[in-house]
Amino acid sequence: MTTSEDHQLVARVVSAQDTDAFGELIRRHQSHVRNFLRKLSGDYTLADDLAQDCFMHAWDKLQTFSGKGSFIGWLLKVAYTTFLQSKRKSKRYAEILQEVGHASEVESPAHATQSEEIGDLDRFLAVLTDEERAVMVMSYACGLSHREISEATAMPVGTVKSVIFRGKEKIRESFDIKDHQHG
Amino acid sequence: MTSKIINMAERIKDEQDRMLEAMFASEPIADDGFSARVVSKVRRRIWLRRLTLPVATLVGALVAVKPLTELVAVIAGLVQMIPEDVLGVSAVVIPQLPTLVLGAMLLAACLIGMRMLED
Repeated sequence: MTTSEDHQLVARVVSAQDTDAFGELIRRHQSHVRNFLRKLSGDYTLADDLAQDCFMHAWDKLQTFSGKGSFIGWLLKVAYTTFLQSKRKSKRYAEILQEVGHASEVESPAHATQSEEIGDLDRFLAVLTDEERAVMVMSYACGLSHREISEATAMPVGTVKSVIFRGKEKIRESFDIKDHQHG
Repeated sequence: MTSKIINMAERIKDEQDRMLEAMFASEPIADDGFSARVVSKVRRRIWLRRLTLPVATLVGALVAVKPLTELVAVIAGLVQMIPEDVLGVSAVVIPQLPTLVLGAMLLAACLIGMRMLED
């Protein structure tokens, strides 16, 4: 999975609207994007829906990919934006439901079911903010460099480093809490 | 040089980094038709976009045909009121004016439609 092959496929999509080339790009990167969104949202069904939206947005905006960084970095930026937009929408939806007095409908049933089967990673991710979670997943799960994370999240490299440091501290504290609680 | 140093610094990992990498590591997710679903959605969207403008143009033209013919008839009536020597054309041409205007409009619509299909 080389960057130059990605760039060639992107060029084919942009110049000729080649859907086969776009399909190949999706096949190459869907696992990363879906894993990223699953870790970010904690909800597999929602994550897969968001991944589809992400690739649709990517299709629309592919001509804005400058080709300077890695394609997966750019794609995760689109995925992160899609996640934030969805989160804003669901927040607004919850607010409207609360305004009209349907507070019980606010909690997502999918989330409730999955909360029973969450593992250690999900518990640690739960203590992080969305921003910290995104940066930590990009760094440790997707293997992006600080510069790539900076481009994907529109944060300065220094801020990325401090967010990672803060995230690590929080996880370390969570470990201590867990050790203390269980034993 | 500076970026190389930064990259090297990033590669220096402590025990917690390695632990986090192991914790964040996950099995690759099988495609299971995911890419095919997205590609078919993209193809549908392309067709929708291609069809939207011609269909909208056709509907607009159908809606506009009646008022336009009436407008052209009124204009033709007004033109007939102008004395022949002021207009400088023969009286035989004037009744054909609505047909000419409609023909020109249809030609323009066809040209625009063909251009859009080419695009």
